[in-house]
Amino acid sequence: MNNNKYKLLLIEDEENIHNFVAALLEANGYQVIGARTCAEGTMLFASHCPDLVILDLGLPDGDGMEFLREIRRDSMVPVIVLSARTNEADKVQALDLGANDYVTKPFGSAELLARVRSAMRNFHYSAHRGAGGNRYESQGLVIDYDARRVFCHGIEIKFTQIEYNILAFLSAHPGKVMTYAAIIKAIWGYNDLGSRKKLQVNMANIRKKLGVRPGEISYIVNELGVGYRMLRSDEK
Amino acid sequence: MNRKWEIVRDWGITIGSVVGSFLLSLFLQNQYQTDALIPVVFVLGTFLTSVLTHGYVYGVSSALFGVLAVNFAFTFPYFHLNFMIPENLISTVIMVIVSLVTCGLTAKLKQQEAARSNGEKERMRANLLRAVSHDLRTPLTTICGSSSALLENYDAFTREQRETMLRGIQMDAQWLNRMVENLLSITRIGSGDVKIIKEETALDELVDSVLMTFSTRYPAVKVTLDIPEEVLIIPMDAMLIQQVLINLLENAVQHAQGMTKLSLRVIAMGNRAVFEIQDNGKGIDEDMIKSIFSGRYTPDAAILDSSKSNCGIGLSLCATIVKAHGGTIQAKNSKGGGALFRFTLDMPEEEDE
Repeated sequence: MNNNKYKLLLIEDEENIHNFVAALLEANGYQVIGARTCAEGTMLFASHCPDLVILDLGLPDGDGMEFLREIRRDSMVPVIVLSARTNEADKVQALDLGANDYVTKPFGSAELLARVRSAMRNFHYSAHRGAGGNRYESQGLVIDYDARRVFCHGIEIKFTQIEYNILAFLSAHPGKVMTYAAIIKAIWGYNDLGSRKKLQVNMANIRKKLGVRPGEISYIVNELGVGYRMLRSDEK
Repeated sequence: MNRKWEIVRDWGITIGSVVGSFLLSLFLQNQYQTDALIPVVFVLGTFLTSVLTHGYVYGVSSALFGVLAVNFAFTFPYFHLNFMIPENLISTVIMVIVSLVTCGLTAKLKQQEAARSNGEKERMRANLLRAVSHDLRTPLTTICGSSSALLENYDAFTREQRETMLRGIQMDAQWLNRMVENLLSITRIGSGDVKIIKEETALDELVDSVLMTFSTRYPAVKVTLDIPEEVLIIPMDAMLIQQVLINLLENAVQHAQGMTKLSLRVIAMGNRAVFEIQDNGKGIDEDMIKSIFSGRYTPDAAILDSSKSNCGIGLSLCATIVKAHGGTIQAKNSKGGGALFRFTLDMPEEEDE
């Protein structure tokens, strides 16, 4: 009876969405536990200890933010939020409250699965990080944390202090969207949204140095209006 | 909040005009040694107040203040108020009549303006509803039809047929999604009074997002990109401008027949960013250029053109968004053939280094 499938908790009140997501995940080898309200979700979370939570924002009995806040008190379980496209503020708030990633509705199956896989691996492999020495490697981009040097396909690229810090920060959370606020706080140490421009200029310079052009897939994905995400080594 | 400011502003105008008239009269009295101009100056002051303020209160107040001022300072006995002289009474009455009539006219004019713009809004809304209803039904027809056919006769179709129908359902659903995005944007800024919130956005990030989304929908269409080398940070509502760019690019794909090249170009010109989308298709019909952004729904065009189009909603939405940003938008046929859509956004000069 007990198989080695990952256990996912799905909290979504829309019947059709719930069905489609549950069916999709089960067809891809995950075990799904379903809840339709915040209260039900909390209960099931406590009793089943899932490996990942998919949380819809805008549940009938309160918004997902409260649920997120509650479980983040003692758990670092990966959480993916489902949000409506027009609400950037919701996404950013969820990410700042500790959600790992978000998927905007309507979404395709491939998108959701990719996010789930990514979040799972981040969480479950992070405990084993450091095994490969203090460096980050992904698709030709190598960051040597000890020497504070960056190489792209073997060629070293010089970054400024700030630019390097940003790269190091993003690479420490591969595959995860880091909001502007989170990055600003980590790099400059304060929560000033006026520094967004500074961050954007630095990001633009980083992109230029990496030789990335708009519209091309690159090491760092920009989530417009929300933040940035460094692609994991196995993502395309 | 609006009301309070309005009241403050109107009182400001009233007092300002009385004081202004007073000072002007003093000046004229000294300059030309005559009192004859003074009443005229005050009548002008009252007239201007009545035109620039709302309602009757301010105009009439201005008239009365004016009369008092003239009585006090410019008529015998100087620097005394004297209401018994008949001329004073008559001039009071005349000033008040002037202000009442002017206020009345101004109010009427404003009413007519409001009625006209309301009428226009109603027309636009009716157009929008018609277009939406048509545009929503088209993809829904496919979705309903294909899905019911598959449910009822699943085994009667070949695998290929099933896949085609399912793909059609997917495409139509995605199309509906874009329609909904457009409509949501329209409601966000539709009334024209809603201020959009501008955030500083890096141009290359905006373009990157646009191209990524566009290439997902139209993987076969290649967009040539030409943006400045330096980093441009432009205040804008990124989601909305992204929609403008996607709508314009999509418009080219849908309507520019014979197009083989599509380009997006951004130029920094002083304190403005200029966006240009150019294709080498057959160009825009000359008689359509004037009204291309008006969102006019043309039923004939919809029937003849079986390919999905946003029936002008996409373009009129672009215009609305750009205008709400304080920018300008235009469409024309370029010299080398093909259509050129250009819009501008304000980009404040860099103050710091």
